[in-house]
Amino acid sequence: MPAPARSYSTEAIILRRRNLGEADSIFTLFSRTEGKFDAVARGVRKAKSHMRGHLEPLTRVQVQVARGRSLDVLTQAETAAAHRRLKDDLDRLNMGLYCAELVDRFTIDRVEQRALYDLLADALEAMEAGASAVAVRYFEFHLLAITGYEPQVAACAACHAHLPEEETLFSAPAGGLVCRACRHRAESGRLLGIRAIKVLRYARTATIQEFDGLRLDAALAHDLQAALAGLVHQVIDRELNTVRYMDALGRADRTPALTANHVQSASPEPETPEP
Amino acid sequence: MAEGASTPEPIQRLVEAFHRLPGIGPKSAQRLAYHILRTSEQEASALAQAVLDVKQRIRLCSQCLNITEADPCSFCQDSRRDRTIVCIVEQPLDVLAIERSGGYRGLYHVLHGVLNPMDGVGPEHIHVRELVVRLQAGEIQEVIMATNPSLEGEATAMYIQRLVGPAGVKVTRLARGLPSGADLEYTDDVTLARALEGRQEI
Repeated sequence: MPAPARSYSTEAIILRRRNLGEADSIFTLFSRTEGKFDAVARGVRKAKSHMRGHLEPLTRVQVQVARGRSLDVLTQAETAAAHRRLKDDLDRLNMGLYCAELVDRFTIDRVEQRALYDLLADALEAMEAGASAVAVRYFEFHLLAITGYEPQVAACAACHAHLPEEETLFSAPAGGLVCRACRHRAESGRLLGIRAIKVLRYARTATIQEFDGLRLDAALAHDLQAALAGLVHQVIDRELNTVRYMDALGRADRTPALTANHVQSASPEPETPEP
Repeated sequence: MAEGASTPEPIQRLVEAFHRLPGIGPKSAQRLAYHILRTSEQEASALAQAVLDVKQRIRLCSQCLNITEADPCSFCQDSRRDRTIVCIVEQPLDVLAIERSGGYRGLYHVLHGVLNPMDGVGPEHIHVRELVVRLQAGEIQEVIMATNPSLEGEATAMYIQRLVGPAGVKVTRLARGLPSGADLEYTDDVTLARALEGRQEI
């Protein structure tokens, strides 16, 4: 058997970064062809590093990677899409990092997941172009679908019976909508109105841009967010760092901040989008 | 730890203590410990005292949260400094870096950290509240965001802008561009784009 190549080149989206030692960082990359993997970039925290600016989370990069004994080593990096407008907006940055953390939690190392890669790339592209939190709901729906947890919205998740046009229970343990007959067996859930159900069904066939074009009122957006977050939680069963962070931002925003002399408005914040 | 049972216990303890320091591996820790062994008792106790002093005499300035021996710190006490500008930095070491540049005569505010969405570090983990309290006094007119130009530093800058901007305080950000000695060829697009935007007439 021929020895595997010593290095390879791939396109990847950077999911996260953590520091190692004095000047190195370990990056978690999600590659179209390699799946998710960790790689170290040596000296990347020094000012002279050529790769530094190319290796920010949420950047899509072309990288050259050398196989290492325990950890692969990034030797070259070139930005393919920096997503600068996304990163220059606190809310959209949070949305992007939330999606990246979801991908990190829903994948295992070195398993190719092209559909998921394309979904993340599309979502970041959409956010770069100005997409709202509605696009994040689309992302959650399709992330669940691609990884084998598609929300059951067409028929009853338990008995596959046809669902009448009415308010229906959405149960995370059951994996989606549950008909009246099966309702007593569902462990928990929340009632979704007909509009919310239609929006969820629309997510299956729409593109992310079409879906993001929907204008949802606050109550509807909240219902969808809670329903999908419930499913996500059902799968990973732990709190996401980005969610904890956004909750903290939300709490800080609601506390009256400045109330003195030259200060006019006490609460600086309109609203933070839900994850 | 490579120290065998034959090594006297005090040396083992010292080696382990050095090993816990950042950037010190087991070999360096050993070398340092045996170096201490060879130095005079005077030198060794001076080192021990210096370590203790740092822990016992250094605290955070009640105003800017920089590390200091006297409270308020020398920056906050200095009447020649401009009290209407405050420069926000991540760490005490950043204060030294800005002071070294010699181009700044305002006050500081040290956050002792930075927002990190990826690790779940939110505003309550850094010293933002204290900044808000300082701004409420009304004397400060400009806030300079001097957090690192990383994703976390930018998130922190945007957050503070959002927090204090509506209150009528001017919020500025350190310029981003090319470092001295840089190669255009290797510069990432974002840095280059910002350098172009921030170009100046010569």
